[in-house]
Amino acid sequence: MSELSAPMKPSRSNLVVRLLPNIFAVIAAFAAAGIFIAAMGFDVPRAYSTILFTSFKTPNGFVQTLLKFVPLLFQALAFTVPLAAGKFNIGGEGQMILGAIGAAAVGIMLAGLPAFILLPLVLIAGVVFGAIWAGIPAWLLYRFGINEILTTVLMNFISFSLIDFVATAIWRDPAAGHPTTVPIGPGGELPLLIASPKLHSGLLLAIVVAIVVYIYTDKTSAGYELVATGANPRAARVFGIGVRNVFLLSLILGGALAGLAGAIEVAGVHHRLIEGLQSNFLLLGIIIGLIAKGNHLAVPFVAFFIAVLEVGASAMQRTLMIPGEMVFIVEALILIFILLADVVRRQ
Amino acid sequence: MESEQVINFARLVFLALVPYVLASQGTMLGGRTGIFNVAQEGIMLAGASIGFLVAFRAGSLFVGILAAMLVGGLFGLALAYFTTTLKMDQFVVGLALFFIGLGVSTLAFKLVVGVTLRPPLIQTLSNVPVPLLSRIPVLGEILFNQNVLVYFSEVLSIFLYYFLYHTSHGLELRSVGENPKAADSLGVSVWRMQYGATIVGAMLMGMAGAYLPMVYTGTFTNGIVQGRGWLAIALTFFGGWSPHLIFFGALFFAAVEVLSLRVQITGGVIPYQFLLTLPYITTILVMVFAFKWARAPAFLGQNYDREKRTLS
Repeated sequence: MSELSAPMKPSRSNLVVRLLPNIFAVIAAFAAAGIFIAAMGFDVPRAYSTILFTSFKTPNGFVQTLLKFVPLLFQALAFTVPLAAGKFNIGGEGQMILGAIGAAAVGIMLAGLPAFILLPLVLIAGVVFGAIWAGIPAWLLYRFGINEILTTVLMNFISFSLIDFVATAIWRDPAAGHPTTVPIGPGGELPLLIASPKLHSGLLLAIVVAIVVYIYTDKTSAGYELVATGANPRAARVFGIGVRNVFLLSLILGGALAGLAGAIEVAGVHHRLIEGLQSNFLLLGIIIGLIAKGNHLAVPFVAFFIAVLEVGASAMQRTLMIPGEMVFIVEALILIFILLADVVRRQ
Repeated sequence: MESEQVINFARLVFLALVPYVLASQGTMLGGRTGIFNVAQEGIMLAGASIGFLVAFRAGSLFVGILAAMLVGGLFGLALAYFTTTLKMDQFVVGLALFFIGLGVSTLAFKLVVGVTLRPPLIQTLSNVPVPLLSRIPVLGEILFNQNVLVYFSEVLSIFLYYFLYHTSHGLELRSVGENPKAADSLGVSVWRMQYGATIVGAMLMGMAGAYLPMVYTGTFTNGIVQGRGWLAIALTFFGGWSPHLIFFGALFFAAVEVLSLRVQITGGVIPYQFLLTLPYITTILVMVFAFKWARAPAFLGQNYDREKRTLS
């Protein structure tokens, strides 16, 4: 575990050497999946060119990619920040849902407020709700030593019921066929960077947060406590780090990040709470975090790459009728091959 | 009327017991050799999907169950190879296999059935009354008028108890999860035990998945497993990694599941969404209050490397 939780410092000279095995892993994953796609009787070259290039062919494709990139980046960070401390947060989905609920609640209840008050409140509500939702497993770990992996997962399932309740019983929009709330006040909407195709300013927020997280974990002493705890909790304790506090903090930070992702989906994309807005961002976020091996410099780039694949996947499903799940399997295979590359390197 | 409801409730509990028992005993088996499988949810999804599809195409539930076990076994083989042979992190590999199971389940369904609003249905498992025993009043109806997999999970639990605690192979298997170095030095083939237990354990998880469409829904849906795989991990800890306690713990987990669905149907003042959360909240509470005395295998989750000194 230690090699995973301690982000490696990349030295520029051998960056290429470091990247090479990862590139091989990606190629190997595509090759393995390609054999399967060909066996199913589909056109492999067309499938792969769709997956890889849809994002870059049209302005709309690129904006779609950026819109996916934002929640993916946050979900990846919600996983990697606790991972730096050696803790597994598998509850980003529930934390994102709670963040979305908090954002929608504030946005609906205070709908009349002007943007300069309402928008910050909406985003803060998301952060706070996400942090609280992660705070429950974090506290159980802190107080009773309950392993966080299962509790964070189980909190996801509880959140599915909560969002259903909020979207059907509290602020239900009767006109919508799917569980959806009424819209939030216009002041709660994130301003657009580009009007057409619509790109909201949550993108800037995501980039800023990613930089802050990188500086925090890699350049500050508070962040170093996190990393040191993850690398060797016993040694960290000897050096006077409050290991349990670090665990607590890392999980709550993760929850706050996921909660912000939920708030941005509400304030930037949907302008209301919609059941299912969390998509499969949690699973992809974990895959991103593991592929990046917890390295906060690498996370945004991996997140962008996965966003490209995801946009390509939906295009492939639409135009070539190849199920988009194929790409999810490719992503999981990339992860496995990258882990395998480590094994090869070790020997 | 009252007693009829109680009997019906008890029957449903034994019906709901099966996936918990199978997935949890599977987890226990691997864990007792030190291999901690966390891909239950994914393996069960793959088992549910492939089991359903094969049963649908072959027209035989039995063949469907075998297919689900085969798929589960492949997952177990992959987990054993990556962890036992390649010494990769068990939890990370487990997560990766969970993702693959999830992807494979929807992919296979879409490839075979396509996207449809009216999915094909299979016959659900029928009840097979045990001769004589099923005629015992009350108990006969609850215990001996169920489908074959209910009987199988009961017999399996008894067998595993006997195997682990009353045979020398069982002792060897347990010793691998406690102290592989000692087991190794006594001539126990550690890797063979780990491969065997992990593969058989994962086969049981695949079977647990196949049970869901074959008993509850008659078809595959994405949300069919609903966290039962994760709950099975909690149950395994709750049952202290012993087959008999896991069985009784599963009764409790199944009772909570049935309760949350029953109360939902009968209705009441509490919104149904909150009743649905009952199994998850109960499990978290169980983890808080019952995990203190639960003991896990000492070498759980670690990879044994005979050339390295082991810290513990």
